[in-house]
Amino acid sequence: MTGRATITRRRVLGLAAGSALLPRLGRAESGRRVAAIDWAGLETALALGIVPVAATELIQFRKTVVEPEVPDSVIDLGLRGSPNYEALTLAEPDLILTSNYYEGQRASLERVADTLSLPIYRPGVPPYRLAAEAALTLGRALDREAEARAVVAGAGAEIARLGESLSGAVRRPVLAINFGDARHVRAFGDDSMFGAVLQRLGLRNAWASQSSYSAAAPLGIEALARMPDAIAIVVPPLPSDVVRGLDDSALWQALPMVREKRVSVIEPVNHFGGLPAALRFARLVTAALLRPESVRHG
Amino acid sequence: MAERVGVNRILLWSGLALAAALLSIRQIAGHAAPAIPLPPDVAALDGVILYHSVLPRIAVALVAGAALGLSGLLLQRVLRNPLAEPSTLGVSAGAQLALTLGMLYAPALMDHAREGMALAGGLAAVGLILAMTWRRGLEPVAVVLAGMMVALTATMGSAALILANGEYLFSIFLWGGGALAQQSWGPTLTIALRLLIGAGAAFLLMRPLAILGLDDASARSLGVALNATRFGVIGVAVWLAASVTAEVGVIGFVGLAAPALAHLSGARTQGQRLVAAPLIGALLLWLTDGLVQLLAGVDGERVPTGAATALLGGPLLLWLLPRLRMFEWPSLNSRPAPSRRSPHPYRLIALFAVLGAVAVGLALTVGTGPGGWTLSTGPLLDTLLGWRGPRVAVAAAAGAMLAAAGMLLQRVTANPLASPEILGVGTGAGVGLTAALFLVTAPGFGVQLAASAAGAVLTLAAMLALSLRAGFGPERLLLAGIAMSALCSAVLTAVIATGSPQAFALLRWLSGSTNEAGPGDAWFCIGVAMLLLATLPLTAKWLEILPLGDVTARAVGLPVRRCRVLLVLLAGLLTAAAALFVGPLSFIGLIAPHLARLAGLGRPLQQGIGAVLIGAGLMVVSDWLARTVAFPYQLPLGLFAALLAGPYLVWLLGRSEARSR
Repeated sequence: MTGRATITRRRVLGLAAGSALLPRLGRAESGRRVAAIDWAGLETALALGIVPVAATELIQFRKTVVEPEVPDSVIDLGLRGSPNYEALTLAEPDLILTSNYYEGQRASLERVADTLSLPIYRPGVPPYRLAAEAALTLGRALDREAEARAVVAGAGAEIARLGESLSGAVRRPVLAINFGDARHVRAFGDDSMFGAVLQRLGLRNAWASQSSYSAAAPLGIEALARMPDAIAIVVPPLPSDVVRGLDDSALWQALPMVREKRVSVIEPVNHFGGLPAALRFARLVTAALLRPESVRHG
Repeated sequence: MAERVGVNRILLWSGLALAAALLSIRQIAGHAAPAIPLPPDVAALDGVILYHSVLPRIAVALVAGAALGLSGLLLQRVLRNPLAEPSTLGVSAGAQLALTLGMLYAPALMDHAREGMALAGGLAAVGLILAMTWRRGLEPVAVVLAGMMVALTATMGSAALILANGEYLFSIFLWGGGALAQQSWGPTLTIALRLLIGAGAAFLLMRPLAILGLDDASARSLGVALNATRFGVIGVAVWLAASVTAEVGVIGFVGLAAPALAHLSGARTQGQRLVAAPLIGALLLWLTDGLVQLLAGVDGERVPTGAATALLGGPLLLWLLPRLRMFEWPSLNSRPAPSRRSPHPYRLIALFAVLGAVAVGLALTVGTGPGGWTLSTGPLLDTLLGWRGPRVAVAAAAGAMLAAAGMLLQRVTANPLASPEILGVGTGAGVGLTAALFLVTAPGFGVQLAASAAGAVLTLAAMLALSLRAGFGPERLLLAGIAMSALCSAVLTAVIATGSPQAFALLRWLSGSTNEAGPGDAWFCIGVAMLLLATLPLTAKWLEILPLGDVTARAVGLPVRRCRVLLVLLAGLLTAAAALFVGPLSFIGLIAPHLARLAGLGRPLQQGIGAVLIGAGLMVVSDWLARTVAFPYQLPLGLFAALLAGPYLVWLLGRSEARSR
């Protein structure tokens, strides 16, 4: 192929851009340089042992997704909604990972390199299976099939093991929520990754309908009163003014799950992640449920 | 006759109150008497919900509605402006920007001083607007325009802050929509206390208030300390609105509609209005919130109450407009003096062309990269041109089209403050785009353009129909535009609050981004711009004659009505094509024609060419700033366009009055 020519041109570009050392880390063994627009794609690639050359919103990713860790060599492409195409071009990827959320950008992305769409979240479809499929698809595309199969099998086995450790210990239904402000929550239903993981852990999701995940005000916290016997798992972000508001809220304090200290705040995890996020959530939930006395909140 | 009308109105309000009460009873009954017997601890919890959530929600709707009604009444009275209210004066947007800043940069401060932050933001917005329009004697149209400008810039600022920090702050969305769900009596008591103090102050100020309704000279001769009273009343009104904003979020239109409805319902005296406006405001919000809850499914409310009031209030305002007696409505005597005409107009045009070319050259070659600022040359430039070229082309073409549309509208309406942004044409295009996004799965580019053009032209047509009823007066046209723009924004807010994929597409469109522009878009945009702009020379003669007035125009044999329709259609098409690429909120269409005229280009064709060049140049610079300032994170193009245009508008508003006074 044109490997040699690409390298010389890339070096010219790199020098001109003032960064003479454009990372070569993104070169997987297959020789492909990968860029990730979608966070689930970024997570999955890292889990397969591929370090992308570039990815979006890394400041926020390191804060809210935490693992897998993103090496410093990865170039930040800016916002997922409007990625910086100049930076993307300079990173010279030859495969770009996107998802069904970024259809509007496909035409522009394809001007840079081939795209691979890994859809994980579709209304009404349990995302765990799609996440496993995404890992396998990515493995095939990057000649990492063995690693991909190992990652999928490993995640399944680990979640099953965690589920066993919980069996018998938790009989109550579990509710995964995220606070919008001190008055509103989003609940994660069966069509969310968190709902799917709860199911695989052998737990009952207290929120029976589909996820109420949108920018609007989906649920007042009084809706939590309808699930008096549930255990609540609070997924960050949890801003400090929300904590203060909950402390002052008579209704929140009167909820059985709060009075009986059945509310746990776990560490940050990607709400729209791939297999690594699913595994991380499974670990965090199991640890929270097995903790002798759940903390109130914060 | 008058008696019967009065009785009918009382019946109408009682009926609405009864409906609201029934909705509330339904909510209370759901908790007080559950259909199936519940275990005791759940039943006890039902009591807690009733006492700490359901009842406070009803109460907060009542007191917040009353506070907004009173705030609107006070502002309308003291500014002698039937369109003044917390949202048209930028109070809510200013408070929102202050709270966003606080949430991002001083979260500790927000724990304790939430209301203080909101108040500071609201006061800053109103202060800015009053300062901008002071020398015009706080003329209503100027105040509302300045308010709109400040509100839009503040809203764009909030959006930019959220985007630049990579935070999709859920709570800001929520709060921007005004949500009334409650978990304690705290907000109710806070607002109720402010309402009591505000009502007390209003009662004490009743006489000065009545006098303030007269003109300044009469008021002064009656011994009112004019400015002290004025600022006192404004302060009270802003405080009321800011505390509502801090507690439950932005709730539009109640402050506008309540005093107007009080007036229409026969509240004639100052005292009657002081009672009626807060009552009607309380009723409006109570009823709206009841309906929102009635329509909510098990998985939550689909429309925030704050957006729902705007959806009800927008049409109401448009309906009111022809019926409102504009009390002592000053004529827009702000037509700028014919400025010095340059003896060498084409040299000026050449200068603008050179400046535009410099802007284009800058945008194409200078940028930020991973290594900081760079001037790109050679093979690197070749690569980057593939991205920068289309962006610059789209920005330039859109700027040129908006400038031309602004020039057309200003000449047609003989109104120096008309522009596609202010007449709501851009947001109308947005509503058309929304319809396309929802009605057609994955609409292609052609569909989007057609829908947005249809939205823009329909908006303009609706405004024409409205304003023609009262003659094509400049003030009514502007007000119809402002009302239409507010209504369209309310539709967009409600859609964005649903958080659907279409909502995110709209949010991106609203903030204006050329990021996705490819070579195809660029050629298309340039093609449309060339085609539409080529018709400008044909309209030059009409544009010369129309501002002289209908009588003159008819006397020289111009088919006035047909000319206007064609020109307005052209302006609508220009705006729709541009807005599709750069969003509705730029103000380039307002200022480019002014800059051209002030530079000495007086004749329509020369002004048009100058405005087109200036508009293109400004938009290219805005786009370049949006792209480079926070690299690799991109900021809204509309923000920089508004920031470039804003100071000029301030200057324009201050300047033209200095002469005409």
